[in-house]
Amino acid sequence: MKYELVAGFETHVELSTKTKIFCSCTTAFGGDPNTHCCPVCIGLPGTLPKQNEKVVEYAIMAGLATNCEIAEIAKMDRKNYCYPDLPKAYQISQYDKPLCEHGYIELSNGRRIRILRIHIEEDAGKLIHNHGDTYVDYNRGGVPLIEIVTEPDFRSIDEAKEYVERLQQIMRCIGVSDCRMQEGSMRCDVNISVRPEGSDKLGTRTEIKNMNSITNIAKAMEYEYERQCDLIESGGAVVQETLRYDDATGTTSSMRSKEDAHDYRYFREPDLVTIAVPRERVKEIEARLPELPEQKLRRYIEEYDIPEKDAALLTRYRSISEYFDKASEGLKAPKTASNFIIGQIFRRLETEADKEAFEVKTSAEQLGEMCRLLESGKLKNNLAKKTLEQMLDTGKSVTDFISESDMAGLDDATLTEYCQNAINAMSAAVNDYKSGKEKALMAILGNVMKQSRGRADAAAVTKKLKELIG
Amino acid sequence: MGQIKRIHEMLVSGEITCTELTQKYLNEIENSNKELNAYITVTPEVALAQAKAVDEKLARGEEIGMLEGIPMTLKDNISTKGIPTTCASKILTGYKPIYDATVYELLLKEGVVMLGKTNMDEFAMGSSCETSYYGGAKNPHNTDHVAGGSSGGVASAVGANLAVYGLGSDTGGSIRQPAAFCGIVGLKPTYGAVSRYGLIAYASSFDQIGPITHDVEDAAIVFDAIAKYDDRDSTSQGSEPTLPTLYDDIKGKKIGIANQYLKDVREDVKAAVLDAAKVYESMGAEIVYFDLPELDFALPCYYILAMAEASSNLGRYDGIRYGYKAEHYNGTHDMICRTRSEGFGKEVQRRILMGTYVLSAGYYDAYYKKAVNLRGAIVEAFDRAFEKVDVILAPTAPVTAFKNGYLFGEETDQLEQYLSDICTVPVNTAGLPGVSIPCGADSEGLPIGMQLIGKKFDEKTILNLAYQYEQAEHKTIETKWGVKL
Amino acid sequence: MVTREDIENIALLSKLFVDEKDLDSLTEEMQKIVSFADTINNVEVTTGEFDNINNLSNAFRADEVRPSLPSEEILKNAPEQAEDHFLVRKRA
Repeated sequence: MKYELVAGFETHVELSTKTKIFCSCTTAFGGDPNTHCCPVCIGLPGTLPKQNEKVVEYAIMAGLATNCEIAEIAKMDRKNYCYPDLPKAYQISQYDKPLCEHGYIELSNGRRIRILRIHIEEDAGKLIHNHGDTYVDYNRGGVPLIEIVTEPDFRSIDEAKEYVERLQQIMRCIGVSDCRMQEGSMRCDVNISVRPEGSDKLGTRTEIKNMNSITNIAKAMEYEYERQCDLIESGGAVVQETLRYDDATGTTSSMRSKEDAHDYRYFREPDLVTIAVPRERVKEIEARLPELPEQKLRRYIEEYDIPEKDAALLTRYRSISEYFDKASEGLKAPKTASNFIIGQIFRRLETEADKEAFEVKTSAEQLGEMCRLLESGKLKNNLAKKTLEQMLDTGKSVTDFISESDMAGLDDATLTEYCQNAINAMSAAVNDYKSGKEKALMAILGNVMKQSRGRADAAAVTKKLKELIG
Repeated sequence: MGQIKRIHEMLVSGEITCTELTQKYLNEIENSNKELNAYITVTPEVALAQAKAVDEKLARGEEIGMLEGIPMTLKDNISTKGIPTTCASKILTGYKPIYDATVYELLLKEGVVMLGKTNMDEFAMGSSCETSYYGGAKNPHNTDHVAGGSSGGVASAVGANLAVYGLGSDTGGSIRQPAAFCGIVGLKPTYGAVSRYGLIAYASSFDQIGPITHDVEDAAIVFDAIAKYDDRDSTSQGSEPTLPTLYDDIKGKKIGIANQYLKDVREDVKAAVLDAAKVYESMGAEIVYFDLPELDFALPCYYILAMAEASSNLGRYDGIRYGYKAEHYNGTHDMICRTRSEGFGKEVQRRILMGTYVLSAGYYDAYYKKAVNLRGAIVEAFDRAFEKVDVILAPTAPVTAFKNGYLFGEETDQLEQYLSDICTVPVNTAGLPGVSIPCGADSEGLPIGMQLIGKKFDEKTILNLAYQYEQAEHKTIETKWGVKL
Repeated sequence: MVTREDIENIALLSKLFVDEKDLDSLTEEMQKIVSFADTINNVEVTTGEFDNINNLSNAFRADEVRPSLPSEEILKNAPEQAEDHFLVRKRA
């Protein structure tokens, strides 16, 4: 029998606010252990949380960017469970009144992945296990997260991969998170079940926790899909459980232990007050929202005539699309800038992280200047590629490489010198011209072009010669 | 004149230096604390250093504030930087906070002298102070009786003149009931009037810090100093000052008496409260009897919600970051369970279990959710009552101070202890202010207290009415203990 | 009805050990308190949903970094610590 994959995602995204969600400690990554902490985020008795306004704003931005409805009234709840990385023995989260609900992200195949909810919550600290001893560092404790929960709308692993990439693009574009999976600022839990093709009943699902790369997500889903299919084929049944994916063996295994009783006893966080979101506030945030990757992509393809593949690369990271937007400003054909970015600049960036950071020596303005010269014909096509390579190597401007040797058009002094040389050398032609033979000027121009080895601009030479001859 | 004003004048006139005054209190604590067990920690170095600063200021001829140099105490659930803060629990053994509670910060700015940290029921869970890991505080009127709870240590200390005043906390009556038992004044402010930052939580949506004082004027002075908005506590709002209207006439004020408040109250207590009503009538106030049937379910509603919040608030005591840690264990989970089982007393464990129960799957709707909704009904019932009256007069407790061990004996029904909070919890459930003042004594000479309950953030009216009664009746009974000035 | 299993379950959730020998008496005691709590279910509630006691909303803090405490302060009260971490040794 053939089985259909059914999956849903719960994605934790760390927000890039300056401070933690309930205290004023920095959210900076790294730092020596327990140096980004205060009485509040280590849960000292008597301390109280104070909500970071930016966290609410960022969550609303994330909701708007994923077509969610924004709640008018939201609240915070306590999710109670005892674990050494959770200093209060409860996580402040949102239970029945999340900030955002009922959104979707559209995939390239036209299918919409429905987003059930987006809520805000605090991250836990970090545990290091060493020979049975446990070391605890609370630097990450209290860093703000949004959790984005989808409906079980995924039918293939490719859809899952595309969803995660889209989500990253969107969050980076609106600037609420850097979504670096390798640093843990984006983590995915996937619910998976299988069912006979054609069936509309959901099978028993398992949940694979805390995956931190798209490759692992794909591999884990693949493994789990096969495992469940085999289980059912051999007459067994899938047990609802929480799994962890082991990268080394490429398998999933149960995370259950008898010490974890799971009953979170959610109740309203009495130390915080209601979050009210007036509609004007939503409108104001919406108005400030930058152009989303999807909109950008359409604009690049439809207005700029950029091939879809290139447009997708340009919109993958906010830093790249910003670079492109700046470089292509005022160009007749923005595609020119795109071609250079994709064809030459990208080749120099090896890793995903390099591409995301997009730190290149040539500024967007410098690339723009070069493209403009190319458009005006002042820089010849065959020289552009080599010139850009030099620019990228040195960080110098286009004029540093072509004003002396390659630019179509010489500086005035040189031009004057060449013209004077020609006039002196070709007195006959000059006289012919003076007596009305317009054509004679062409011969003098030819001499100037020869001196400049073809670099001089004919119109500029003509004008200069007329000036000098009088 | 109130105690604080009197001492203030003595300091200003030079009749006594602040250091002499402080030393007197420290000596008396030394003499009496063994018997009264009011203090858990005494802080002579801190107190004398603070006193010295006040004396230096006076010597320079500078003016001092009303609370400056006045020796006081804090309940041991109010965080004090570098000074042990135990909540009277074994689980906080050795814990020294690394920050000050907002109320202590405010008082430090006033230049107070902090004598030490006072006894309480463990994590403020109890009505007798006897759940304290350090043993209960005794009643200065008769040491065979308890000081009450949970702020029994503050009440015992203030009642015995081992401090001029103290700050307690009131979750279900923990300021008012011990104040009543010890024959002094206790003000539970409106929820949100005083910052909770630094108060070790029992039940966050009920807890309030408030003054326990010798007289009403003192309560007003201290309240006005601590009822300030604090941006570290999202539920904090501050309140209006009470001193400007404290001495006003009360003619025409409407005082309500809810019949339900008198139902399960001992006859002599009831009689004392009704006598007080007559005094008010004679002063030109109007007495209105009315029904408040919602009071009948205030107690179970309160216990469900308070225990639920407590079960969550007390989850953090796991032996990792502070306090007691079990010595023998096998692995993290085992360590946490052992630490908590060894570190928490019986009553605290009982309330954690009960709170976990009412929040757990399958029971949440019937208990927690239902109680939340009932809380709304109680709030509305009081709102309706206050459309007709300015304040509500009620007994503070149905009885006078319990005998030592009476409610904490092995055979004693736990429920009985819970039921003794019947008069105080409605105020916390509705977030209202309430002040308890002495209004008589029983046949054994133990004080009887009555409370005046006000509208939210209307501490000024209840204190005004309390003050006028106090001035007319002088029901305070002096004890043999402590500093005599 | 409060059962022994209920008590075992909530004890696990509460991270408290209950001695086997105390289980019956504790079950009985909890039953009494639960029966008392149950009295609220004799009352009809007609009021709207209760929000928070003073109906407050939007108590926010600006996203501005303030200095954290040095790790020595943070770790000051730790029963055990090593290498700037809180530490739980395995023991046994």
